[in-house]
Amino acid sequence: MNMRMGSANLFDNTLTKLTKRQADLSELQDKLSAGKRVLHASDDPAAAAQAERALTRSTRVQTEQRALGLQRNAMATAESTLGDATGALQTLRDLVISAGNATMSPANRSSIAQQITTLRDQLFGYANKQDSNGIPLFGGLGSAGAPFTDAASGVVFNGIAGQRASTATSIPSLMDGQAVWMDVPTGNGVFTVGPGSTNTGTAWTDVGQVLNPAAMTGHNYSVSFQVVAGVTTYSVTDTTTSTTIATAQPYVDGKAINFDGLSFTAHGVPTNGDAVQIAPSTRTDLFKILDSAISSINNPTATPYALTQATTLALAQIDAGMSRIQSARGIAGDALNRADIIDQNQQAKSQQLAADRSRAEDMDMVQGISDFQNQQTGYDAALKTYAQVQRLSLFNYLG
Amino acid sequence: MPDVMNIGVRALLVNQSALQTVGNNIANVNTPGYSRQSVVLKSVAGQFSGTGYYGKGVAIETVQRNYSEFLTQQAALSKSVAAGDTIRYNNLSQLENIFQGGSDGLGASISNMLNAFSDVVNAPTDLTARSVVLTQADETAARLRTAAGQLNDLKLGAMAQLKTDVTTINNLAQQIASANDQVTKALGSGHTPNDLLDQRDQLINQLNHYVQTTSISADDGSVGIFLSGSQPLVLGTAVSPLKVVSDAFNDPAKSQLMMTVSGVPLSLNATQLGGGEISGLLRFQNTDLVEAGNLLGRMALAIGSKMNEQQALGLDLNGNPGTPLFNLKPIPNGYPASTNALPGTALSVGVQTSPSSGAALLVASNYELSFSSATTGSITRLSDGVVTAFDFGASNPVKIDGLDIQKSAVAATAGDRFLITPFSAAAPGMATAFSSPRGLAMANPVTARAGTGNTGTLVVDGLAARSQPAPPAVTLTFTGPGSYTRSDTGATVYAYTPNQAIEYSTSGSLTGWSLTLKGVPQAGDTYAVQPNAYPTLDAGNAQAMLDLRDLALFDGGPLTDGYASLMASIGTRVQSAKTTMTVSVNIATQLETDRTSVSGVNLDEEAAKLLQFQQAYQAAGKMLQISQSIFDTLMQNLGR
Repeated sequence: MNMRMGSANLFDNTLTKLTKRQADLSELQDKLSAGKRVLHASDDPAAAAQAERALTRSTRVQTEQRALGLQRNAMATAESTLGDATGALQTLRDLVISAGNATMSPANRSSIAQQITTLRDQLFGYANKQDSNGIPLFGGLGSAGAPFTDAASGVVFNGIAGQRASTATSIPSLMDGQAVWMDVPTGNGVFTVGPGSTNTGTAWTDVGQVLNPAAMTGHNYSVSFQVVAGVTTYSVTDTTTSTTIATAQPYVDGKAINFDGLSFTAHGVPTNGDAVQIAPSTRTDLFKILDSAISSINNPTATPYALTQATTLALAQIDAGMSRIQSARGIAGDALNRADIIDQNQQAKSQQLAADRSRAEDMDMVQGISDFQNQQTGYDAALKTYAQVQRLSLFNYLG
Repeated sequence: MPDVMNIGVRALLVNQSALQTVGNNIANVNTPGYSRQSVVLKSVAGQFSGTGYYGKGVAIETVQRNYSEFLTQQAALSKSVAAGDTIRYNNLSQLENIFQGGSDGLGASISNMLNAFSDVVNAPTDLTARSVVLTQADETAARLRTAAGQLNDLKLGAMAQLKTDVTTINNLAQQIASANDQVTKALGSGHTPNDLLDQRDQLINQLNHYVQTTSISADDGSVGIFLSGSQPLVLGTAVSPLKVVSDAFNDPAKSQLMMTVSGVPLSLNATQLGGGEISGLLRFQNTDLVEAGNLLGRMALAIGSKMNEQQALGLDLNGNPGTPLFNLKPIPNGYPASTNALPGTALSVGVQTSPSSGAALLVASNYELSFSSATTGSITRLSDGVVTAFDFGASNPVKIDGLDIQKSAVAATAGDRFLITPFSAAAPGMATAFSSPRGLAMANPVTARAGTGNTGTLVVDGLAARSQPAPPAVTLTFTGPGSYTRSDTGATVYAYTPNQAIEYSTSGSLTGWSLTLKGVPQAGDTYAVQPNAYPTLDAGNAQAMLDLRDLALFDGGPLTDGYASLMASIGTRVQSAKTTMTVSVNIATQLETDRTSVSGVNLDEEAAKLLQFQQAYQAAGKMLQISQSIFDTLMQNLGR
C-alpha cells in the first residue's frame, strides 16, 4: 500500500468503484427482470450461440408440426375416402350378384345397371377428391387439378404414378392414384378366360385358377370344342407358339380343364366350333371394369350364359379392385400411424430444445436473487463506509 | 541585537512563504496534473566571531515540485492503453447490439423466411402462402440492409471521431511545442518553473488519451514527443501534424494515420500505435467492423445466391423458369494499391462467386492479391494469413474459396497489389427482385414416374433439378436390386446403391437432375424421369428451398446455424475486448494512484504542515517581540 494518498485521487477512485458497483447492480437487475443470464452474446458467446441454435430448431419443429398437421389431415381424408369407396364397391358387388340372378328381367337389370352407374360416378368423385388446400388426394407424384377425367377410351389418369416417401418429420400427403384406381388386374389376376366371339352354344366358364405357378407359360391359348355324334370333346392350342397341347379330350360339364399349370371350369353345352380364349392378365382400371359390367348387365339381348360369364368376371375384378383400395387404405393407415409417432417425437424434441435453450441462457433465479442481495449489501456497505471515511479530516480538529 | 531581529524577520518571511506553498497545495487539491509543491529550507551560513559560528537564520533554497518522471510516464502510458481499449469496447458493444439473437433477431428472420416455404409445399397454389414467403424474403433483405446500414453508421461515427481526435492531437502538439518554448526560457532563471512543467505534463497526459506517445527530455528542458516509437510529433518547438487518410488501396472501409514530417508524408502503421483512442478507433474500424461486415456480407451473399440458384431451378406459376428472387449487387473489383504501375482502370481484377458450388465455400475475409510477375503471384487471405500461389497464365479466372478472380488482359507488373473485398457490397444492396407471388418458382421442372408394373418397394425420396431446361425423358430400368440401365444409353449397365442419388449427368458439372429412391427394386421395375407436365400443383422446388436450411454453407455449418456462429463470433470479440478493457483500466487506475502518492496533495498532510509552519511563524513573531522588548528594556535603562 502507498505511504500517502492523494486526496483527489482517493475521492476519484472511491467514486469510480461506487459507480461500477451501481452499474453492476443495474445490469444484474436487468438480467433478473428479463430472467436471462445471457442478455448479450458477449455475456457468454457459446451459450448465446447454443440458445440461438435451439431457438432456430425449435421454430423449425413448429413449422414441421404445422406441415405434419396438414399432411395428416389430407391423409386422414384420403383414408376415409377409401373407406367410403370400399363401402360403395361392396354395395356395387351386391348389385352385380343380384344382376346375375337368372330370374331378373331385362328391365330389372336395367334398373340395377342404373344404380351401378350412380355408384360408379360416386367412386369417380372419390378419386378426384381434394384436400382443404385444393390438392387432389390421389395425385401421386404430381397431377392436374382433376387427376381423373372421362375420355372416349375410358378414364384417364392425368398424373404421375408413384408414391412419395415419408421422412423423419413428414408423411406423404398424396396417394398414388394410379395404384389405387387404375391398376386392377383383369381376369383372376394371372390370366383371363373369355368366350370366343363366334360362340353359339351355352357354355360359360369361371375365372379360372393357377394350379402350378412353375408350369405357367404366360402364353395365349385357345380351347375349342368339337361335337361329333353328340360327343363333345375339346382341344387346346397354344396360339402364341401355334402348338397343339391336347386334342380330343372329353368335355364334362362342370369338370375342370387343366393344362400348363392353369385350370378353369366350363359349364353348359358348347356347340361345335365354340371356343374359350385364355390370355395373360393385363392391367385395367376400376372404372373400365364397372363400365363393362354396366354394359353387360344393361344389354337386353344378352344370353343368361354370357351374363353369368360377365358377372363372374366382374365380381372377380371388383374384388381385385377392392383389394387394391384396401391395400391403399393400409398404406394410408400406416402413414397416419407414422404421423402419430412423428408427432410424439417432435413434441419430445421441442421440449428438449426448450430445455436446451433455457439451460444455455436463462437465469437461475435462486442464484440470481442471492447474487443480487450480495451486491446490494456490498453497495450499501460501500456507500456507508465512503460517507464515514470521507468525513474524516484533520481540519475537523483544528480549532 | 539586529541579528536577532534579522533572524526573526527572515524566519517570519520564510514560514510565511511555506504557508503560502501549503495554501497553494490546498487550493490545487483538485487541479488535474498539479504536482504537490514544497518549500526547501536551508540555514544561512553562520558568522564567525571569537566565540564560534553564529547561525544567521533560515532561507528558502527553492520551491520543489514533488514529481516522479517514471511514474508520470507510466501513468500516462497506461491511461493511453486504457483509453484505446475503452473506446474499442464502447464501439464494439454498439456493434454487438446490431446482432441481437432471439425471436426478433436477424437469424430468426432468415429461419422464418425459409420455414415459410413449408406452407407452399403443402399448398402450391395458395397465393397467400406464396405472399408470406415473399414478405419474409423482403423482411430478411431489409434486416440485412438495416444491419449493413448500422455498421456503416458505426464506421462513419468512428471516422468522425478519428478526425476530431486528430484535430485535438494537432492542437495539443502545438500547445506542447509552445510550452517547450516557455519552459526553455523560464529555466534561465535557475529555478524549475513548476507550474509550467505541470501544465506541459498535463498536456502530454491529455495527448496520451488520444494517442500513445514516448517523451524524451532534451537538455534545454524541452520534451520531444514521438509516435509509433520513433516518429516525431513534437521536437522542441516544431510540430509534425497528423491527418486521417484512406489506406494504400483506397478501401472506403478503412482509415489510416498520416504524419507530415518537414513536408514529407509518412503513414503510420496502426498496429504500432500502441494505445490511445486513435489506436482503439482504428482497430475497431479496420479490423472489428471489417470482420463484422464480412460476416454479414457473406451471409447475405451466400443465402441470396443459393436461393437465387434454387429459384432458377424451378418453374413459376406461369410455367417459366424462375427469375432471381434477390437483387444482389455485383462484387466490386479489386482495389488497386496506389503504388501499382498502371492505374486500376487499365489492369483490373474482377470477382464473382463461383457458380453453383461457390456460395458454400465462402470464407468471411478480405484478400490481398500480390503479383510477382505479369501473371503469377500470391493471394493472402487476410483473416488468417493463409497464402496461396496463383497463376493467371494457367487459369483465368483463378479460383479460391468459392470466388472466381478474373484478371483483365493487361500484363501486371511485379509488385502490383490488389485488395479484394468480396462481401462489402452484398448486405447493403440486398433487395427482393419481384413482388408477384406467381413469380416464385416452386415447381420442380422434372418428375419421376414409377412404372405401372413395378413390383419392388421403390418410392421417390427426392428428385432435384440440377439445371434448366429439363433434359428429355429418361427411363431407368432396373435389372436387379443393384443395377439398372438407362433408355438414353442403351444396354450400358449402371450399379445402383439403395438410397444413393442417381445423377442425370455424372461427367463434369452436375446437370439435369438427381433422383433418390428409397426401397429395393426388382428386376423390370422402371422409373421415368421426365419434364414436369403438371407444374401448377407441384412444389418440389419449394421443398428444395426448405432443404436449404440444412445446406452446409458457413464454414461447413448448416445455413440456419450461420447466424448463431456470427453472433457468437462477434460476442467473443466483445467479450475479449471487455476483459482487456477491465484489465487495462485497472492498471491505469493503480498507476494513477501510485503517481498521486508522490505528486498528489493530501489534505491531512497539508493540515499538519499548516500547523507546523503556523507554529514556526508564531515562534518567529515571538522572537521579534522578544527582540523588541530587549530593545525597550535597553532604552528604558538608558533613559534613567
